[in-house]
Amino acid sequence: MNNVISIDHLSKRFGEVKAVQDLSFRVKEGELFAFLGINGAGKSTTINIMCGQLAKDEGTVRICGIDLDADADTIKRSLGVVFQNSVLDQALSVQDNLESRAALYGITGRAFRKRLAELAKLLDFEELLKRTVGKLSGGQRRRIDIARALLHQPKILILDEPTTGLDPQTRRLLWDAVTRLRQERYMTVFLTTHYMEEAADADYVVILDGGKIAAEGTPLELKNAYTGDFITLYGIAEEQAAILKRPCMPLKDACRVAVPNTAAATELILSHPELFRDYEITKGRMDDVFLAVTGKRLTGGAEK
Amino acid sequence: MSTLKSLIKRNTKLFFKDRGMFFTSLITPLILLALYASFLSNVYEETFRSALTAAGAAVSDRLIGGCVGGELASSLLAVCCVTVAFCSNMLMVQDKVTGARRDLTISPVKGSTLALGYYAATLLSTVLVCFVAAGVCLLYLAGAGWYLSAADVVCLLLDVFLLALFGTALSSIINHFLSSQGQISAVGTIVSAGYGFVCGAYMPISQFSGGLQKVISFLPGTYGTSLLRNHALRGVFEEMSRQGFPSEAVEAIKDAVDCNLYFFGNRVEMSTMYLILVSTVAALIAVYVLLNRMHGRRKQTGRKGVVA
Repeated sequence: MNNVISIDHLSKRFGEVKAVQDLSFRVKEGELFAFLGINGAGKSTTINIMCGQLAKDEGTVRICGIDLDADADTIKRSLGVVFQNSVLDQALSVQDNLESRAALYGITGRAFRKRLAELAKLLDFEELLKRTVGKLSGGQRRRIDIARALLHQPKILILDEPTTGLDPQTRRLLWDAVTRLRQERYMTVFLTTHYMEEAADADYVVILDGGKIAAEGTPLELKNAYTGDFITLYGIAEEQAAILKRPCMPLKDACRVAVPNTAAATELILSHPELFRDYEITKGRMDDVFLAVTGKRLTGGAEK
Repeated sequence: MSTLKSLIKRNTKLFFKDRGMFFTSLITPLILLALYASFLSNVYEETFRSALTAAGAAVSDRLIGGCVGGELASSLLAVCCVTVAFCSNMLMVQDKVTGARRDLTISPVKGSTLALGYYAATLLSTVLVCFVAAGVCLLYLAGAGWYLSAADVVCLLLDVFLLALFGTALSSIINHFLSSQGQISAVGTIVSAGYGFVCGAYMPISQFSGGLQKVISFLPGTYGTSLLRNHALRGVFEEMSRQGFPSEAVEAIKDAVDCNLYFFGNRVEMSTMYLILVSTVAALIAVYVLLNRMHGRRKQTGRKGVVA
């Protein structure tokens, strides 16, 4: 797969604050790329630089093979951005909003109407076209935000915490649409999120901390590197599990034993088969990876 | 071109959809007219009447009414063209506050196109509101004393258009540096309170001290006020001459109400006033477009960043 985004030694500071420090990473074409970090880690700064909203201090940014310094306008045509908060005009109707934004890419008249019909069908907002954006629910508005980002058929869709504050049903709907786009259009998705379960589905994850890359890899690589496995023993009390001499967390009707890896789990099963009548072995979660890497917990937007 | 057209459409729609912004713009000139008519017309009338009586001239109430009305109408329109432009141009700052500006600038649209989009939309709404105000002023003049010819009315509307161009360009440059609702409110208040004085609308420049008059003669808005006043009062002065007023007396009144403006002792002709105003508008628009171009370039390639 080709690298659709290549960032090398990117740095940006605001006064004394080093927002991004010597950042280098690649995003492959068609990939779901997750960019994780607490607020202030440098995610938005990086996105703003990529979108030509902010000047970088050092480094190079190449998107779709084009240097940002050489041709920012062509790069802008390759990017669709869904911001954290809806930035559409609240007083205008959905159609007026999309019409004015489409014109920024030279899409007008019949071409716009055709694209609007496609997007309305894809994101299921045909009945909302005449409604004022300010009067839509959070989920409805998010669908229009995505439609706006897709108006010019970008190669890369940047989702900046797209599901923060959304109900589970709307989150599902949004992800279904994004998954469909990835499958049908082979679109690259660059995601920043506070929801670890969303990051777990990514093809590649970069964890930022203090403007630097703290860890990167596929979710499996990160889990293997930064967390162990967990054996959940059903119908076993904490006292019984003590024999395993491993850290154990009591659960309702079960206990969860931490092991360094799957091989260690196999060893335990072989040495104490009497305890392993009803059990399951799971990898650590992305939350555990994030905690291990940064020493901070990230749950739905709040750092702990 | 289609992008610019679409931006103008979007900005204009937003102005008219925002009832607060639209009604404030529309109602401001009407309130000003009511205030002028209630509080200032008597003062102006008394001043005129006593000056003319002292000169031994008998003047009809209708002529005095036309004279006072013309002065009020020109003052009001001179102030409105600038204050309404500032009010209409609030959208530029609101877009920064709501984040809509980011949504516009992540597209490949040029900074200069965005700038012209705001300018043209603001101009459109300003001209519309000021033409409504001009209509109300003409109605007022019809009641107080009508001495205008059709050409005067056309010239008056042309002056309004020119001043709206000026006000929009001025507000565009100032608003370019603003990024919060508080800042625009503060600027709006300062402009509303101060502009009327410095352009000679609230008080004739001839009544200011010599030093201040010299300073004010450098401000292009002053010439806009004078153009409006010349066209609003031309018929009145013609009527005075027809009734046998000595030309010295008419010229003295013209000096007193700023129809005649002097730049370091030299009288400024009306054609020069137009030239000053048009050149100023062109220069302000050029500065505004340049500011936007530089801002866009700095964001994309500059090594010294700006916080988005």
